[in-house]
Amino acid sequence: MATMLIDINAYVGHWPFKQLRHNTCPDLLKVMNRFGVDISVISNLNGVFYKDTQAANEELFNEIRSDKRFKNRFIPFAILNPIYAGWQNDLEICTTRFGMKGICLHPLYHDYEITDPACVELVKRARDLGLIVTFTHRIVDARQRSWMDIPKEWSLKDIMPIIREVPDAKYFMVNAANSMVVNDDDTDLLRRTNILIDTSGRNLTNLGEMILRLGKDKFAMGTHFPILDYLGGILRIESLRENEADGMTKQLLRSGNAGRVLSL
Amino acid sequence: MAIVINRREFLSRSSMSAAGLMLGSGMTDPGSGKKPDYSFDIMNEVMKYRKIDSHIHVLLSPAATAEMQIDFADRLGIEKLVISRPVVKQDGPHQDFRDSNDMMIKAMKQFPDRFIAQFTLHPKYTKESLEEIKRCVDQGMVGAKVYYQVKINDPLYYPIIEKMIDLKMITLMHSHCQLGLGGYRMKYDTRLNPNTSIPEDFIEVAKRYPEAMIQFAHICGGGDWEYECKAFKDYPNIFVDVSGSNNESNAINYAIRYLGEDRIFFGSDNCYYQSVSKILAADLTEVQRKKIFFGNYNNVLRKGGYNVD
Repeated sequence: MATMLIDINAYVGHWPFKQLRHNTCPDLLKVMNRFGVDISVISNLNGVFYKDTQAANEELFNEIRSDKRFKNRFIPFAILNPIYAGWQNDLEICTTRFGMKGICLHPLYHDYEITDPACVELVKRARDLGLIVTFTHRIVDARQRSWMDIPKEWSLKDIMPIIREVPDAKYFMVNAANSMVVNDDDTDLLRRTNILIDTSGRNLTNLGEMILRLGKDKFAMGTHFPILDYLGGILRIESLRENEADGMTKQLLRSGNAGRVLSL
Repeated sequence: MAIVINRREFLSRSSMSAAGLMLGSGMTDPGSGKKPDYSFDIMNEVMKYRKIDSHIHVLLSPAATAEMQIDFADRLGIEKLVISRPVVKQDGPHQDFRDSNDMMIKAMKQFPDRFIAQFTLHPKYTKESLEEIKRCVDQGMVGAKVYYQVKINDPLYYPIIEKMIDLKMITLMHSHCQLGLGGYRMKYDTRLNPNTSIPEDFIEVAKRYPEAMIQFAHICGGGDWEYECKAFKDYPNIFVDVSGSNNESNAINYAIRYLGEDRIFFGSDNCYYQSVSKILAADLTEVQRKKIFFGNYNNVLRKGGYNVD
């Protein structure tokens, strides 16, 4: 019986500073089939750079419905910008018409503070609608960035303020590329929060220890593909030894936790 | 409550629920996009390939012990580790470099079947460095790992490189290629040491010494790997290792496109998982994968009779 795998962090679309490959639904599906991944949560990277992010969400919706093969394999998330006009209407369309189950917010690229009242309002609305809210430490490594790209990246502590504001929302925190160290109060808060941290991030070298610290219900497979290679997040799970993660825990990491939070 | 999803159960439930995710009412056809019913056994793939980690450090901090590196290597099927402990102070006495080499000699003797140890040096201490090379080679060390005290194309390095040519050993130089280093990019203050070697420095010394073997460190370590690969296209004695924490998709295939399949080394720079995953995930033939994981570096070792097979 093949193992079930759910990727909570993948993309379609373009990155303006580097050519991406496999960044369409057909091509991503081929990669998923090659490596045995059942479902991918995807957003459209174009929304990071469009001033009107809704255009990217429409692109994603239209691409997924263009081929009946896609609807069982992709779960689309919307990219929204709470300091741009019309986001409330966009949110409604994304949930009622497009059937999107979550939103991705990019404060660093859209130039607002994570505790901006508009962002807090959006996260609360997402909470009330049962949507998942995704934040990322970074999209690309700032060290190799284009001269036109932003220099700043986040660590876990930069995301904590919104979790403190809206602790009962559902969160994905993806591409843990920087420090995952927070104080004891925030560690306790994370344990109580309905959050999944995906396994794509470079700072998850000792995933077994992190599972002990935060709990086996807090992690899920993620690739950050096609920005990062497809297998890093999977390898971090599958290389865990029995004393670090038993079979049941690995199943949670592979798909169980994601299925729970996504209500599959 | 923990949920363990069985694929059969999921597929039987998903035809309605997943369609309902997207398209609202009326879509009941589960579609033909089912995943093939097999699992990609990644650990089987990992263990299939012999590997030489061409760039890894031991004891850069007290916690980063030799045992810890061996443990990660065992986890990922890495047979040999080319270890070093560069001195990161800009201006240390020669004794600092000698102390580092002593630590590597000790580690190498502790794990003689796993570690290939490289020596380090500061070329401003020319006489001492040449004596140190002899001492280290007599102890079984192979190759040089040098750092950002002096650029690789500085004339201070000429006698070192000439010695390395005689020994038929490779020189691994710490390097960067990003905003904040070199030419107009210096206007971006990224707090990098301005003496760090950049691609243009490697090219200059490679042209001067076509018989030398020079390894540009960690093209996946945060630098602009597209720039690096394009820059080195026409210099067959510049090798790259693909170590580093930034496992961007397509880096390996891009490197092959510009450098060919024989000048690329697997390496981790202590970034274990992504060092292996990026090569497994790339669109490569089996021959290419074996070359990158093991064969290419072993061929470099073979030139001096230091090969591991």
